Amino acid sequence: MKTHIILLGIATALLASCHRQVAIKSLPCCAKDAAASVAGASDGTQGGNSIYQLPGMWTDQHEKQLSLSNLKGRPQIVAMIFTHCTSVCPRIVEQMKAIRDSLPASIRNNVGGVLVSFDPQRDTPAQLRVFAAQRQLDDRWELLKGNDDQVRELSMALNVKYQKLAGGEFSHTGNIYILDKEGNIAGAVDGLSSSVHNADALLASLARK
Amino acid sequence: MKSLTILFLIACLLAPRKNSGEALPGKRHVAHARSAAGMVAVPGGSYHYFLRRKDQPAAVKVHTFLLDVNAVTNDEFLAFVKANPAWARSRVARLFADAGYLKQWAGDFEIGDDKIKNSPVTNVSWFAANAYAKWKGKRLPTLTEWEYAASAAPEGMAKGARLTRIILAWYDHPNPVILPEVRSTYQNTYGLYDMHGLIWEWVQDFNSVIIQPDSSSGGTSASSFACAAGSLNSVNKEDYAAFMRFAFRQGLQARYTIQSLGFRCAKDY
Repeated sequence: MKTHIILLGIATALLASCHRQVAIKSLPCCAKDAAASVAGASDGTQGGNSIYQLPGMWTDQHEKQLSLSNLKGRPQIVAMIFTHCTSVCPRIVEQMKAIRDSLPASIRNNVGGVLVSFDPQRDTPAQLRVFAAQRQLDDRWELLKGNDDQVRELSMALNVKYQKLAGGEFSHTGNIYILDKEGNIAGAVDGLSSSVHNADALLASLARK
Repeated sequence: MKSLTILFLIACLLAPRKNSGEALPGKRHVAHARSAAGMVAVPGGSYHYFLRRKDQPAAVKVHTFLLDVNAVTNDEFLAFVKANPAWARSRVARLFADAGYLKQWAGDFEIGDDKIKNSPVTNVSWFAANAYAKWKGKRLPTLTEWEYAASAAPEGMAKGARLTRIILAWYDHPNPVILPEVRSTYQNTYGLYDMHGLIWEWVQDFNSVIIQPDSSSGGTSASSFACAAGSLNSVNKEDYAAFMRFAFRQGLQARYTIQSLGFRCAKDY
């Protein structure tokens, strides 16, 4: 019996790997959770699904200390990267910029970009500043470094998978997450996709809410 | 499979019957001076990756670390919830645990069934396990530490017996309705109980499992995984039992709660 359950689990895991996450989607977990967080208020659970509940202070590229809840108030486009990444991270950042640039200016100014580093050792605020300049990221972008525990917890909340490799590089999944004003995950886009899909429409609707 | 079951039972019978939290004395154990109560020092060594990237070394050095002798029990977890009511069943945020959290309990601060007091706590999310460990001044073991510690053979294992066979025998058993108490299976040569045979256990970095075709890109996205490519970079294809664990971890999310998934804590030595 247990074997069957496990095999089912493995099959599910493998199927999940096969699923091409190209189109933006309301994550199944979160579509349900949007309702659940409302229900959550009545059954006593607190805080719902907002990732802004994660504890800890982060340091940004301007050496400012902030908690994730400081990101409240506007929709955010979020990804986890490391600045020494020469392969996929630059493409993820370009994709985030493309999503933001596809918005009308009035909305764009109310949508933030957040890059969280996997690599607190090398991604100092100064290094994050250099990266922001290289990538031409405006002042609506926050580049954050935290400690290893905070990075792990955030990856867990976002369902980002990553592993530090022997040479100091990181192997990681490359999704871009769209957060609503309260920090709930409203959707995800493949960071390596060449289309913004419906991320612009989603962000526009979140910004107006 | 019957023969495997019998083998497993034999292994259990052969396992030493020790009730104290101390590790067995012996050359394989390092000094216990810095061991906390209920923990043993697992001596450092080398862990050979089960899933390996071609551009990465085959093995990694594991430093000596402390690990709980047995998994955290319902009773122990109750003390945590009482001290940290934000982790009570009806109050925990959905970000941190799904709706099945602690569903085996009678209420927020009540286990109910005395029979499970000393059974491993299950239906706990990674976030809850992580919070418990921090509260104890400990941490969750890393995946590498856990696999390294769990690879030790049962104390007194019959000559010619193989740990993999014992694990597969466990997989083959249905889940008991009431989980047995901790320390009810075997003790391994590090002095750890139930590393296999009772529950699955959370590790600190379970989300480091990225089953993918071999790739030198230094990163990948969800869409670049190839179907069923998981076994391509597994080092030991015979170790089906380990493959099951890695596939299980790959399917987990940190908020999930599962009836056969609990945890134990570790600490730096």
